Amino acid sequence: MKSGVGPPLLLGAGLIALWEIYVRAAGIDPLLLPPPSAVAQYIAQNAGLLARNGASTLAELLVGFGCGLIIGLSLGILMQIWRWFREAAYPWLVATQMVPIPAVAPILVLWFGFTIVPKAATVALMCFFPIAVTTVDGLSSVNPELIRLLRTFGAGPWAIMSKAALPHALPSIFSGVRVAMALSVVGAVVGEWVGATHGLGFLMLHFENRGETAGLFATVTVLTVMGIILFFLVGWVEGWVIPWRRHAKENP
Amino acid sequence: MNGAATAMRVRGVSRTYRDGARSVTALEGTDLDIPEGKFVSIVGPSACGKSTLLNLFCGLDQPDTGTIETPALGAGDLLGRVGYMPQQDLLMPWRTVADNAAVGLECLGCQREEARTRASEHMTRFGLNGFERSYPSQLSGGMRQRVAMLRTFLCDRKINLLDEPFGKLDAITRASMQTWLLDYWQENRCTIVFVTHDIDEALFLSDVVHLMSPRPGRIVLSLQVDVPRPRKYGEVVTSAHFNELKSRLLASLGKAS
Repeated sequence: MKSGVGPPLLLGAGLIALWEIYVRAAGIDPLLLPPPSAVAQYIAQNAGLLARNGASTLAELLVGFGCGLIIGLSLGILMQIWRWFREAAYPWLVATQMVPIPAVAPILVLWFGFTIVPKAATVALMCFFPIAVTTVDGLSSVNPELIRLLRTFGAGPWAIMSKAALPHALPSIFSGVRVAMALSVVGAVVGEWVGATHGLGFLMLHFENRGETAGLFATVTVLTVMGIILFFLVGWVEGWVIPWRRHAKENP
Repeated sequence: MNGAATAMRVRGVSRTYRDGARSVTALEGTDLDIPEGKFVSIVGPSACGKSTLLNLFCGLDQPDTGTIETPALGAGDLLGRVGYMPQQDLLMPWRTVADNAAVGLECLGCQREEARTRASEHMTRFGLNGFERSYPSQLSGGMRQRVAMLRTFLCDRKINLLDEPFGKLDAITRASMQTWLLDYWQENRCTIVFVTHDIDEALFLSDVVHLMSPRPGRIVLSLQVDVPRPRKYGEVVTSAHFNELKSRLLASLGKAS
């Protein structure tokens, strides 16, 4: 990772520069495509507005993500403990993902109004599935020989779960958490599109209606940066929770 | 058996596995006595039911017919009361060396801190000094095996079953581990049942070597190894007496298979 930060930053800066040059040289209408400098200027001038709305989107996202995490982990663990539950529930879990979430969001608004609940619920609906699937995959791939060994030490189901299965499943669970985090940004925005009075998704609709393209781009930029930061936050937590991976890499 | 008490008495034990429509008889009418405080090896060709026997001894599996009595332990379920060290070291990559060694104690109800402290006290004796906080991926094969052995021996069981513990080690590491194990056993006399397919290893380590036939497995020869202890690897394995015992085993092995 150490040597990996420079090249992507350089490429990004290069692309932004090309964009700026293209818009200016070709004389593109800024209402269609504003130059990066105009977007940056807009962000600087409306930092308060963006921050306020960003905070509500972040709150919806984190509440929804937290609920999705708890639901996903619980379902994964229950499916591992009870085989019958896994067989009964798995097809239905897949079915929930076949339901188009943007189509469900208006129903949630109908039930819960213009509150945080429908947004958080949309996020949770999108998040729980990858976490549940990677949890049950991780838990069920623990070496059966290890379980047998622990049983000769007198370990019961709880000790086997906490000492062997869960730690073994952590890397797999984190793969699901990373996917869920990326999805949760989408979930929050979709949740706001169908009914909100604030938030970045709401702001996007607002700018779109008024033809403020620079504002629209500024909002998308803030959303993207927020998503990237959250994604890296998950990676940071992962390195902290799974320290043995670092050591394995040091000593192949 | 010099009048030694019996740790484990096996009578007429059979075990058949169903594998779809096929049934595989791993053991048939096996009789065996394991004397208390002795080092006993079970030798046999691959897939002769050695591992099945150990699974029965540690309570992970139950015989279809026959009995396994353990006068040394008293009556009751064997699971959780007999020490067992499997072929694979099964170290958990997320635990440090000390925590891996302590996991058996933890399962037996010991607090994590106390278990770790007790494991750390044995690091020097097991040649792991200074590696308490290392992760298994940072250890050599021989060291990983010693961690696995410490994990089993820390539970302080009267009977310990070792399933080909040195099978994956190179010859030089293996010889030093064998000597080390004998030293350790001489200090802490427990009953050891050692499964291997290496005849030299079995003879060098054991008081008694039991030879198993190929499937269905039975004990076809029980050989007392009357070589005085402490044994020195170089001296023992090159002696005429050792070679005589070895040829008797090999002759039976040829007949059995």
